[in-house]
Amino acid sequence: MAIPSHPAFLRNKLSQEMRLSLVVLALLALAPLVISSPYWLGVLIVSMYFAMLSTGWNLLAGYTGQFSLAPAAFAMLGGYTTGLLAWHWNVPLAIGLPMSFIVPGLIGLVLGRIVLRLSGPYLALTTLSFAEIVRLIIYNSIDFTRGDQGLNVPALMDSRIGNYYLFLVVLAAVTAGVFLLLRSRIGRFLQAIRDDEIGAASRGVDVVQAKTIAFLVSCSICGLAGGLYGTFAQLVSPELGLIAQTGIVIAMVVIGGMGTLVGPLIGAVLVYVASELLRDVGNIQMIVFAILVIVFARFFREGLWGLARQAMARRRDAAGAKGA
Amino acid sequence: MALLRIRGIEKRFGGLRAVDGVGMDIAEGELLGLIGPNGSGKTTLLNVLSGHMRADAGEVSLDGRNVLGLNPTRLTRLGVLRMFQMTRVFNRITAFDNLIVCGMALGLKEAEAGERATELLAELKLSHVMHLDGGQLSGGQKKLLEFGACFMVPPRVALLDEPFAAVHPTMKETMATFIRNRNAQGQTFILVSHDMPVVVELCPRSVCMNTGKVLADGPTQEVLNDRAVIEAYLGENADAGHEEDADA
Repeated sequence: MAIPSHPAFLRNKLSQEMRLSLVVLALLALAPLVISSPYWLGVLIVSMYFAMLSTGWNLLAGYTGQFSLAPAAFAMLGGYTTGLLAWHWNVPLAIGLPMSFIVPGLIGLVLGRIVLRLSGPYLALTTLSFAEIVRLIIYNSIDFTRGDQGLNVPALMDSRIGNYYLFLVVLAAVTAGVFLLLRSRIGRFLQAIRDDEIGAASRGVDVVQAKTIAFLVSCSICGLAGGLYGTFAQLVSPELGLIAQTGIVIAMVVIGGMGTLVGPLIGAVLVYVASELLRDVGNIQMIVFAILVIVFARFFREGLWGLARQAMARRRDAAGAKGA
Repeated sequence: MALLRIRGIEKRFGGLRAVDGVGMDIAEGELLGLIGPNGSGKTTLLNVLSGHMRADAGEVSLDGRNVLGLNPTRLTRLGVLRMFQMTRVFNRITAFDNLIVCGMALGLKEAEAGERATELLAELKLSHVMHLDGGQLSGGQKKLLEFGACFMVPPRVALLDEPFAAVHPTMKETMATFIRNRNAQGQTFILVSHDMPVVVELCPRSVCMNTGKVLADGPTQEVLNDRAVIEAYLGENADAGHEEDADA
């Protein structure tokens, strides 16, 4: 018998979110037709960088329940992997960029095994400590990393529009990859682990394997985002790994919709574009986002996407009642 | 040969011996009632059998294979399925997907798991809530769902810890009928319950535990009439009731 069709079922819910993600990606693809300013194209490129980080972090925190505080640190590791390979050994980006995916992934794999039995505040504090240790090592290894001067990274694309579509293609690939992972057996297991780790193990889910895969994929995505960002900015510095950067990622996911596929995309673009619009009024932007995070965490756990879904459901119910 | 062979299980928490040298055999197709007062060690014994706690001493074999110390995932895959006293369902995925996860974790393909989940939900009278998230279900529905999750793939032995506690009588009857039918088909159960009428009705044999030890083991009615069981668990009123029954 075929699996019953209902929008609330996991598979259908994911497909619905993937369709909406494609709409968001299509809007981003069309944006350069109406936005010609290099500055605003740059803003959208950086928002796509954050969308990748948010998607990676959301896989770990939103879908697996592993509240890591190290996504920015893994982006920094990705950026430095590409940068150091090019700086010290003239490794071309064709190799350096894939390495920004592989190396942070492997480090994430090790970190994932270390924090396997930790949860909640213990997991958060351990990943935060890891993030700060890595950042301080990079900051202080001046001979190797040039410390706070940062490291020059070769550009992959000469033009801004080239970079724009490069980021868009990678973001689409990351979103599709996460979608396929979540639709798979492992994806279902991750969500079971998020809801009840002991319950999942008691149903035969290999919790160790599933959590390790989540760490590996999430850290790889963050690393690739960092590597790509380095080629766009042509510079990586320890500032990429600041905890404040992780805070922005968390805000984006919470506002967009944690534990949803499309939420991080919506959250990243809206929050980053809004922060640029509010730039002139100084640091008030961070206050606004902090308040928004509190409001969403308290009242709208499913974020903007959750609100939109509730509105659609109400409209469907109203239409159904009218029809009856 | 016994399907599940338990010998000399000990589990200590500091100075407290929660399970103290417990042993019993459970035959294939048996429906064993595990009874006893609160704190007698029933749940701790189930925790050891399902791999959620490590025993300090003893042996457990399933189909002749030593399984003591295996983790819950491995034991589940060997067919030792556990239903918890405190309900465990996946709150943010639908009731249907709750069962799909359990089926796929035990090797079913998604379509097979879907078919099985649909059948189980119908049998447990939960079809009307299959699209609701686990967290949206009532307490009784959650119990039924967790109960059903144990049977996505027929287990070698199902360990049911207080399945009838705080459950509406209709749902209780649904579960009892399910257990009766499956047991008639050869399914093995260990049923922990304080619901004596159900234990009497379902379980031909019972084991009563007290202070971590086996107090009595035998046909359920004999165990319930055992003087030590009455003193430690059922109380003198039950004793009087039994005597009245005997007089009648």
